[in-house]
Order: sequence, then C-alpha cells, then structure tokens
Amino acid sequence: MRVLIVEDEVRLANNIAEALRQRCGFAVDCAEDGADGLALTEYQHYDLLLLDLMLPGLDGLGIVRQVRRRKDMTPILILTARDEPAQVVELLDAGADDYLTKPFDLGELLARAKALIRRGKGVSHPVLTLGRISVNTVEQTVRCAGQLVDLSPTEYRLFEYLIFRPRAIVSARELLEHLYDYNWQHHSNVIEAHISNLRKKLRTVGEETTIATIRGRGYRLEAPEKQL
Amino acid sequence: MKTTSLGRQLIAGVLLAEFICAASFSGVAVMHEMHGHRRAFDVMLRGRGDSLLGAVQDAEDPDDNVTVDPTELVVPRQDLYQVLSPTGRVLGQSPATAAELLAHLGGTNKPGYFNFTVNGTWYRTIRFNGVRVIDREENGGVGLRRPVTVLYASPTNGMWHQTIEAVQFYIVASAVLLAVTGLALVWFLRRRLSPLQELAAIAARVSTRSWDFVPPAAVLRTSELAPIALSMDELLKGLRQAFERQRQLTGDAAHELKTSIAVLKSSLQLLSMSPRTTDQYAAGLDGLQSDTERMEELASRMLALARLEEAPAEPGESCELQVAVQAVAERLRPLAALKQVVLDVCARDTARVAIPADDAEVLCSNLMMNALQHSLPGGHVSARIQLHGSIGELHIVDQGEGIPEAALPHIFERFYRADRSRSRNSGGAGLGLSICKAIVERANGTIHIQSVVGKGTEVWVTVPTTPPHDGASLGG
Repeated sequence: MRVLIVEDEVRLANNIAEALRQRCGFAVDCAEDGADGLALTEYQHYDLLLLDLMLPGLDGLGIVRQVRRRKDMTPILILTARDEPAQVVELLDAGADDYLTKPFDLGELLARAKALIRRGKGVSHPVLTLGRISVNTVEQTVRCAGQLVDLSPTEYRLFEYLIFRPRAIVSARELLEHLYDYNWQHHSNVIEAHISNLRKKLRTVGEETTIATIRGRGYRLEAPEKQL
Repeated sequence: MKTTSLGRQLIAGVLLAEFICAASFSGVAVMHEMHGHRRAFDVMLRGRGDSLLGAVQDAEDPDDNVTVDPTELVVPRQDLYQVLSPTGRVLGQSPATAAELLAHLGGTNKPGYFNFTVNGTWYRTIRFNGVRVIDREENGGVGLRRPVTVLYASPTNGMWHQTIEAVQFYIVASAVLLAVTGLALVWFLRRRLSPLQELAAIAARVSTRSWDFVPPAAVLRTSELAPIALSMDELLKGLRQAFERQRQLTGDAAHELKTSIAVLKSSLQLLSMSPRTTDQYAAGLDGLQSDTERMEELASRMLALARLEEAPAEPGESCELQVAVQAVAERLRPLAALKQVVLDVCARDTARVAIPADDAEVLCSNLMMNALQHSLPGGHVSARIQLHGSIGELHIVDQGEGIPEAALPHIFERFYRADRSRSRNSGGAGLGLSICKAIVERANGTIHIQSVVGKGTEVWVTVPTTPPHDGASLGG
C-alpha cells in the first residue's frame, strides 16, 4: 500500500511516514505544500491520502475538492488543528472520508489509515481470507490453515495487495506504483523475483493457491475451485 | 430603566399644543361674542329706558307731578324698572320690583350701567336722568320741566344663552378639527418616524454572531438618520474586522500550538512504538529537544506579542537605538561569519527613542536576523542609524533573495510566512515582523519594507526621538 502525506510541518510528516512504514509496511511519499501534493495525487498511485488542512499553496479542502472532481475514489484522511463542527461538516461534505484533530495519537492514526484503505478496497474486517489462506493486516501475518507462512516484509506487502483483489489481474506496474515510494528505483524484475519467492513459500506449506503470471498483463492470485 | 417613546412624546406634545390653541380660540370667541352681546344689551336697555321715560305722563294733579302710565308701556315681564323724582320719590315702578332691587338701586346716584344679583338672577341695569316737559300749552308753550331718574334692569341670562349659542359652532368645530388633526398626526408621525423604528430594529439585530447591518433606503434618505446609520455601519465594519482578526489570530495560535504538540507527541509515540537501539533513542531525544525548543520559542513570541499589543508603553522608558543595534550586531557576528555574510553597522548618531531596551534589542535582532537568514554567502547586510531632525531612523539593507511581491502586503500579519516550510525549518513561527511592528507602533513609529526578488530587502524603521531624561527637555 502507498500513502501520500501532504503536511508542511516536516517533522510531523516524517514521524507519520516513519510510523506508517514501520508499523504498517506502507510505502509513503511526503509533500510539503498543497500544490505539490495535488500534483502527486494525479498519478493515482496512492491507496490513501493524508492531508493537513492548513497548507501553503493549496489547502487540504482544496485538494479534496480537486481529487473528488476528477472522480478519484482514493480514501482521504484529513489532519486538522481546528475541529469546529462546521469545518468538519464542510470537509466531509467535500468528499473527505475521515478526520483527526492535532495533536492526535499515532496509534489511532495508523488504525484509521488501515481501516480507510480496507474500506477503500471493499473490505470491512482486518483479516482477509481466500480459501485456506488468511491474511491478518493488523499483525501483518499470512497463515495457511492456521500455519504461519514466513514472509519477508516486501513479500507480505505484495501478497496483501494481491489478496485485496483476489482473482483480478494486477499489472507489475501497478504493484510497483502501489508498493514503493518515489525513493525507490523502479525495476519490474524486482516484482518478478518477489512473486517467485512467494510462490515457493506458499508451496512449502502445501497451499494450492498460487499467483499466476498472465503474460503481458500481470499477475493473478488464484485459488483452486474446490476451496472456494 | 424606564423608556420613553419619542413618537408618543411628539404626538402628545403636538396634541397638547393643538388643544391649547383650540381652547384659546374658543375662549377668545366667547369673550368677543360676549362683548358684542353686552353692547347690544346695553343699547337695548337704553331703548327700553327711553320707552319708560316716554311713559312718564302728567299726573294731572294740583302739584303738576308726573307719573308712569303703565298702559303706555310694553316691556318684558321679567324686566324691572323704577322712575324716581329728584327728591327720591318713586313715580312708578314695575309690578314685580322687589325690595332688594330698591336696595340695590338706591345705593348709587351715578348714571350709567351696573350689575347686581337678586335671588341668583343676574341683572344689568341702566340709570339715566331725563326731563319730562308737561303742561306746555298752559305755560305759554314752554311747559313745566320735571326731571326724573330712570332705572331699568333686565336679567342677563338671556344674553349668556345667546353668546353660548353663537360660540357653540366654533367650539364644536374646534373639537372636531382637534380630533381629525390628532388622528392625522398620529398616522403621519408613525409614517414619518418609521425609518427611525426600522433603524432601531436593524441595530437591535446586530450581534457578534450576526454582523448584518444594512440600513434601509428610507433611513439613508433621512438627513438626520443617515449620518447615524453610516457611522454605525463604519463602526460595525471595523468591529467585525477586529473580531474576525481576533478569531483568526486565536485560530492561528491554536493551529501553531496544536501542530507543535502533534510533532512532540508523534515523535514520542514513534520512539516508543518498537524497541530501538541506543543511537536511535539518542537521535530521537535530539529531535524532541529541538521540537521543545521550537515550541518554547513559539510560546515566548506569542506572549511577547500579546504583551506588546495589550499594555500601553510605560512612560519614561527609553533607550538609545544605536546601542541596541551595536549589541545585537556583536551577538550576530558569529552567525554572519558562519553564513559568510558581511555585517556592516553604522551607528554613530545618538537616537534616544521611547522603546524599552529589551524591546529595542528584540526589534534589531529580529530584523537583522531576517536579513542574515535570507542572505546568500558572500552577501552584505548593513544596519544604519541616522537622525533626521527629531526622527530616528533604522535602515537595514540586505542583498538576499527578497520577498515575493504577492507576499509583501502580508508580511506583518501574524503567523504569516512567505515560504512556510522553509521558515518552519529555520525555526520561525511567522511572528517576528508582527512583533517588530508592535514594538515600533507602541513608540509612535513606523516600519516599512521594500523588497525585490533576487536583489534584496530594505527595512526602514522611523521612531520619534525623546528627551534624554524623563521630564527634562532638550533645550534645558
């Protein structure tokens, strides 16, 4: 998952980014000003937008309006130092999904961020299952019939992204865009390597669910018919 | 407090004036009419008296006396009369003449008119002397002259009735006019005073929650009300701006403080989220340290600004501006050296201004610090103190990056940052120039900034100088 933080208070943005990377395994980009933030959202790489309300350039509300105007459904969480009801109503009405007032609890922010991403992908529970496989997004673990599958952080992130959209074809490009931030050099063969490792690890625990390569189009998480 | 209505007072006043007018008019009419009737009455009395004199006949007695022949006389029955001889003998009188009348009549002998009352009836009387000539034929055509005194009285109640009847019309007409004009007045005044009521109603609706004050056209067309409405409008606009500025300031201050706290809190929570190495903890603590210092700086600047803006300057507090500039320059030299900027101070003139020494140093250090921070290596910053008559001028010039034109009108606004992220990282809270402005304005001075992007910024501070010692003037 990839998150964009638009916050002019650099120390705060860095703290949130660090927490999201360490605790949720998300890729995080930061922008310090509203206009830069809006420009980044146009790529639609993000699974969540975290916006400060008072920003130089363009304020959080302005970004929300622009994003929603172009029918971008990405979940938006607003950070605000002001919590007047009228302003909250205006924000939510403009298309924001949730808000947190500063100073907030970092744990709460992470939980809300994960919940919003989940909801954005049509899932309500933090544990996702496909056949015998279950992915716990809180613990960041994958189990096959109760047995823990030992995955590296990157493998876990890849698998988590795929299981949110089972049986859908996901391109390598999309995986790159949603799993790595801008500090990462993009190489699609990195994805191929991780997919290959994932397949091996799933096979070792005797799981028949696998990640199929659809040539020229991408990857698909496939579960055998009998397990459905 | 008991309130009085302007409209009601006006109506009551005008109605009272009208009533007094009508009453006076009626009174004058009554008096005038009375006067006319009295004259007519007097003429009538005289005529009847003459008739009475005509009824005096020769008594045909040996003494050649005269007497009143009642058959010759036709007068109203209620009238009283008496004819007397010069000796006071009654020659004839009305049948009803009572003793009281005689008493009244006997009192005076002067001819003329007079009044008296008998049994509650008012009488007006004429007394005159006449001569009756008798036996003209027997005395060679000359006759015998028999002087008599005639008294004739008639009740005056008839005259009163006539007067009242004649004046009745005027009184009724006055009362009707009073009623009609009174009603018209009430209607007219209500109508004319409606702009006043509208103004009052609109003014009553204004509150700190609802600032709408649109004076109706009728109010603006009224020459007495228009100035009130316009000055209220001005006043309310000013108040509203002040309120909004205050609200904005509180909001901005809350935003800054909450953001600072959010930084601290998130740093702490991040640090305690998972086990760290000693180095990581040390780095985290360093970050927390600088966050706390920034917050401390923010709090002290906010308090300084609040102090400057709330309390008026203490009289007698002053300092020499050139001393402050020198002191600040000495403190900033290491920073200037670090940034490779030449700091040039020219402060030979003595400029004693009504700024406390601490504030003067804050002023100089904020301005010179800004100049240094925005200067590029190899740049040049100059601070100059000059006296222009009784005005002290501080002129600070840098060759830094300058301030964008769009930002210039806002630079003195609190929490305003031309480049927010950069200023935040350099520790500013956007209060420095607001504090400078407050310090200068407290000493009745002005501050002015000119800047060209890429070329540099110039700051002028002008402050009136004060006498060197409290109470002593320069001239001695």
